[in-house]
Amino acid sequence: MLSRRSAFKAAAGIAATATMGVATGAQAADKVVKVGMDLSLTGADSESAIRTGNGAILAFEEANKYKEVPGIMFDAVKFDDGTATAGQYDPAQAATNARKMVSDKNYIAALGPQMSGAGKAMSPILSEGNLAIITPSSTNPDITDPKFAAQYRPKGKAIYFRTVTTDAYQGPNMANYMAKTVGIKSVYLLDDSGAYGVGICDSFERRCKELGVTVMGRDRLDPKAADYSAVLTKIKSLNPDLLYYGGVGQAGVKLAKQAYEIVPKMVKAGGDGILGTEMLKGVGFPAVDGWYATNASPHKDEGDKQIKEFSDKFRARFKDSPDDYTLTMYVAARAIIETVKVLVANGKPVNRDTVRDGLQAVRMTQSLIGPVEFDENGDLKNKVISVFKITKDPSKPLDSIDDQYKYMGIAPMS
Amino acid sequence: MTSGDLFLQQLINGLNLGAMYSLLALGFTLVYGIMELINFSHFNVFMVGCFIALGVLKLLGMDGQSVILHGLPLIGVLLLTFLITMVSSGMIGVGIERLLLRPLRAVTGPAAMILTIGVSYILFNVILIGIGGDTRNFANPLPSVSWNIGGAVLRMRDLLIWGITIVLMLGLTYFVNYTRLGKGMRATAQDPEAARMMGVEVDSVVGLSFFIGSALAGASGLIFGLYYNYAKVDMGFAAGLRAFTAAVLGGIGNVPGAMLGGVLIGLIEAGSSQLIGQLWADVVIFSILVIVLVFRPAGLLGRQAPNKS
Repeated sequence: MLSRRSAFKAAAGIAATATMGVATGAQAADKVVKVGMDLSLTGADSESAIRTGNGAILAFEEANKYKEVPGIMFDAVKFDDGTATAGQYDPAQAATNARKMVSDKNYIAALGPQMSGAGKAMSPILSEGNLAIITPSSTNPDITDPKFAAQYRPKGKAIYFRTVTTDAYQGPNMANYMAKTVGIKSVYLLDDSGAYGVGICDSFERRCKELGVTVMGRDRLDPKAADYSAVLTKIKSLNPDLLYYGGVGQAGVKLAKQAYEIVPKMVKAGGDGILGTEMLKGVGFPAVDGWYATNASPHKDEGDKQIKEFSDKFRARFKDSPDDYTLTMYVAARAIIETVKVLVANGKPVNRDTVRDGLQAVRMTQSLIGPVEFDENGDLKNKVISVFKITKDPSKPLDSIDDQYKYMGIAPMS
Repeated sequence: MTSGDLFLQQLINGLNLGAMYSLLALGFTLVYGIMELINFSHFNVFMVGCFIALGVLKLLGMDGQSVILHGLPLIGVLLLTFLITMVSSGMIGVGIERLLLRPLRAVTGPAAMILTIGVSYILFNVILIGIGGDTRNFANPLPSVSWNIGGAVLRMRDLLIWGITIVLMLGLTYFVNYTRLGKGMRATAQDPEAARMMGVEVDSVVGLSFFIGSALAGASGLIFGLYYNYAKVDMGFAAGLRAFTAAVLGGIGNVPGAMLGGVLIGLIEAGSSQLIGQLWADVVIFSILVIVLVFRPAGLLGRQAPNKS
């Protein structure tokens, strides 16, 4: 029997061969540059990991097929930061992956990780190796915050870029939306003890206090426990207007199931951690109905011509629908391609130092997620938080994010 | 909710949790009582059982929370699912015993226990590769009936899980203490060689205890699924640690002790969540375990199976 690791290597090998396959007919002199993709392929987030990763694969396949950068072939190599024992991403595995990328000079840039906990483990290692990474979805603000530069980028230069906004906006803007648009007066907060969950919950809590919303309490869930009924009973007895959950699907699915039984009428909301098919499939209707979620990127639906074209291409290639983080991943890969293109056009060498500096200066005016430019910390300059509400549409597939998460608008900035 | 209602509700929550841990601890403690073997594969047999039940219910047309059954069809579906799940989980247990543990029976020391840890990881990874790591929605054909007691809510499925746990515990106690096969099991536990000389078929007794233990794990998997409505590959590790603790707290090898330990841990967990936060539950549970073991090394009720030595 293949071990998980070797099975994964075999799969990565096949994927690598597939991308190389596109390169047939290329001139022998083409230089192959590697881009490492750190994804949580094992565990709770495997489905979204594949869908996110495919965004980048599509971008590189296109660039290779149309020889977009003369003399350069991109080879996207997948790394799995999920482990069976963790049941989701594992920061130690993410660190190992970062070391592997740094130790091979052929890696000029990296993509991922999906999760902030993994990002915190990878960032210092990548900084030492001056290898730039662009994350499509990790939103914990600390990683790029100059306050923590000594910890996350000891070499000083920004190497952790993002094509998403951070929880420094996701939490507070959602608090604004809840207080001003939905009109809640009191809240009980839960997080899942992960880096992302605690961070987004902290920022939500701070903004609630500024807005005068009563914070009735805050608890931390054990994501591996099966039963949250005791915590929910406590919340029921306090009867807040809103239950806000900061965290990902592992605890979120169980929480949503049990919250439906114990506090069915309470308004419930979370961040992008509960924006995904896992909620629709794992929780199912009617329990999942009515949950609010946010996304740290502009939402574009298929009414937009550019998005429609992309979705059609994506479906034709992967027999699957893209989600918002497929778009941010695709755009992240495009940023790398654009950067390399500029380097080659200017006759500069393509290595991780020039690519990092190039990314810092990259300007894409019309990407799928709007204008893309990074500030000196690596954060996206254009900050948008989109709000969704799960609203059952029985005429559409019940596990389709596009159809069951209803777009409610943009959360107001503080 | 008044504070009285709140207390009552948390009591119900704690008893539910306790019943679930007890169910898992029963099969675990049974195998220990007969073989003096801590069988760590038990919890992942439980997990596999849950996925088998999920599959059976799916084949019977039950998916998500959309199909609710009443009366005879409900009983029929449940009985059939229980039967298939328990028999197939039981066969997994027999397979583990026959193929892997029997060759090791003459070996003293922790080899057999470590082997069960290995088996546990194999089961875990087989499901992980075959089915995946995300949370599955477990079908729930039970109608949602509940009663209000003041501000507290008692659901039919709460009563169901308590009932099943008590029946299984009583049945198992009766089986081990008063039936011919049970006597054979206890004789094997005391001294396999003497038991063999007295005409007890030791191999089949050990095989049977593995079958029953694993069938119980399968039944717990189905009950867990019906109760929490989800199945996930890591559920065995998460619930298993608490169930193991329950068995040790009550006195490993002792069937009523497993139940007592389970209920205590359930109540402690609910109380901790109410008063200091869920993440503290483990701290409280294991502190109490340490204290109990210091003063009563054999657990609260001690163990019935005498020492082999």
